[in-house]
Amino acid sequence: MNSALLSITIALLFGIGTFLILRKDLIKIVIGLSILSHAVNMLIVSTGLFENGKVPIITGEHAEHSSGIVFTDDLANSVLAPVVPESAEMIYVDPLVQALVLTAIVISLATTAFILILAYRIYEEYGTTDISKLRRLWG
Amino acid sequence: MEINHIPILLIALPIVLATLTIILRTRPSFQKNINIVASFVLFVLSIMLLFNVWNNGIIVYEVGEWGKYGILLVADLLGSGMVVLSSLVSLMALIYSLDYMDSKALNTTYYALFNLLVAGLNGTFLTGDIFNMFVFFEILLLSSCGLVVTSGKGGFTKIPDKMEATFKYLMLNMLGSIVMLIAVAALYATVGTLNMADIAVKIAAISAAGALPWHIYVIALLFIIVFGSKAAIFPLHYWLPDVHPSAPSPISAMLSGIMIKVGVYGILRTYYLIFNEALFILQPIIIFLALATIIVGAISAIGQNDVKRLLAYSSVSQIGYIFLGVGMGTAYALAAALVYLVNHAIAKSMLFLASGGIIHHAGTRDMRKMGGMVKTAPVMSGVFLIGAMSIAGLPPMGGFIAKFFLFDAGLLGEYYVPIAIALLFAILTLFYMFRAWLLMFWGEKSDLADYDTFKRHRMSNIMIYPIVLLAALVVILGLYPEPLIALSTSIANELLNPQPYITAVLERSVR
Repeated sequence: MNSALLSITIALLFGIGTFLILRKDLIKIVIGLSILSHAVNMLIVSTGLFENGKVPIITGEHAEHSSGIVFTDDLANSVLAPVVPESAEMIYVDPLVQALVLTAIVISLATTAFILILAYRIYEEYGTTDISKLRRLWG
Repeated sequence: MEINHIPILLIALPIVLATLTIILRTRPSFQKNINIVASFVLFVLSIMLLFNVWNNGIIVYEVGEWGKYGILLVADLLGSGMVVLSSLVSLMALIYSLDYMDSKALNTTYYALFNLLVAGLNGTFLTGDIFNMFVFFEILLLSSCGLVVTSGKGGFTKIPDKMEATFKYLMLNMLGSIVMLIAVAALYATVGTLNMADIAVKIAAISAAGALPWHIYVIALLFIIVFGSKAAIFPLHYWLPDVHPSAPSPISAMLSGIMIKVGVYGILRTYYLIFNEALFILQPIIIFLALATIIVGAISAIGQNDVKRLLAYSSVSQIGYIFLGVGMGTAYALAAALVYLVNHAIAKSMLFLASGGIIHHAGTRDMRKMGGMVKTAPVMSGVFLIGAMSIAGLPPMGGFIAKFFLFDAGLLGEYYVPIAIALLFAILTLFYMFRAWLLMFWGEKSDLADYDTFKRHRMSNIMIYPIVLLAALVVILGLYPEPLIALSTSIANELLNPQPYITAVLERSVR
């Protein structure tokens, strides 16, 4: 149920973002890009989410007990790390994707900051935020 | 110094230098010297790396010693060869920009951004982790955006033009990186790893079990969008003729010489390593897009009057030839594509550097207002002729060897129709390159050279040396191409048989 809601949310965010970057206003385009990047971030987090997953902090005896299981490559039985085999009693949420999302958030922050400054400078130079007025170059 | 540390040095040194130059921005001459020295050191290091990889096999460097689960830097022949190429062009562009760039731009942020660009390029070529490749792509993107808006002496590009071009560039590349993240996330959800060698092993295992999910093909097609927008292949090429001419000339040389080759590198790396199983679908698509790119680029280049726009459209057309070789996919065709890539990178970066000199000499970017400059700028006319001959594929330049191998490979692979189309548009290449040369250097002498002399910036030796060096390299690659061909052939064999790469990555790091 939760993952269905998550999927619908991600899809909606992608839709809104795509709608916004097709507008004529510079600022709306920038907001659309930032919504799109958030949609992607949620998509990445959702790839590491398993049903009833626990927080990926391995403590106490679990550390000794399960550390050998969580990251096991067993290609002969088509088990791919870090998917946990059925015999393991604990299912962890994949922590790697959260590290990836942190990186992606920082990068999208930097690019959004740059593109906002660029939009402001374009407004200064052209006196408009209408993207269809930017016609000095023809591609 | 231990040889195994070179991959991380090639990335860490420019990043350290970038921060250092921001701190040292009040001392321009010191900044200048330290950057030239460091850029030269990077070039030497990259050549040492290439020789080591050539003699001793693939070098794998574990960043932070996390083993297979951490980030790996993998220097194979393809990666280290690309690093040598990018270090060479960036060294030349850096020397050239010392005199070309406006000193205000040069002393504040130019060096820092340039070093970050170099770090991003080296990182992209050396990383063995697909998410890490995304991170380096973003470093590349942001630093190159910052560099496109810097201005050269004379201000031949208007600031609003730069803004508009950079907005297009940044916007499209942000969309490209969003698509790349979707593709990487889908790949991770499918196979549960980000290490490219590991992904390759697992996809091969799934495929051998007969359970290859259909969305692997979709992910592979998404990577065409990602790397295609970096390399400016046909439906995604329209930003390039705006961005490359708007950038200052040394940056145009970096963008056209190396940055669009990043897309080719990405296609080679991901498709021939990861998506081996999906190649039979992808190859016809790449060949079709390559032909469309050749046609659109060549036809658009004919009508240009701005010298840098002409060179940019010519880049679009030439990248199509490289993708044609990539798409044909035999060992011979891949080797031909790599020879083509090297020749185009050197000739096109030389032409862009020369076009900066020509624009400064003539005081305009419009070729119709130039004329008869063979008398007033003989060096420029000579090197532009060498570059034009190489791009058009005339002997004895490097471009002839490249085109000859590509067409030969296509005929051996029985791709008669694509080769016929490519050959037809190679004639158009000849036409538009020589049209540009004739317009600028022959004909009636236009008196623009005497106009406004007290204000204009003259060509100096520091700008001419890098151009002449690159022009000499173009001729050398045409007269003595055997080392390059040997290297390209072994790279092509390595690409078609990725087992050594996979073994080097996985067996070293599983602990």
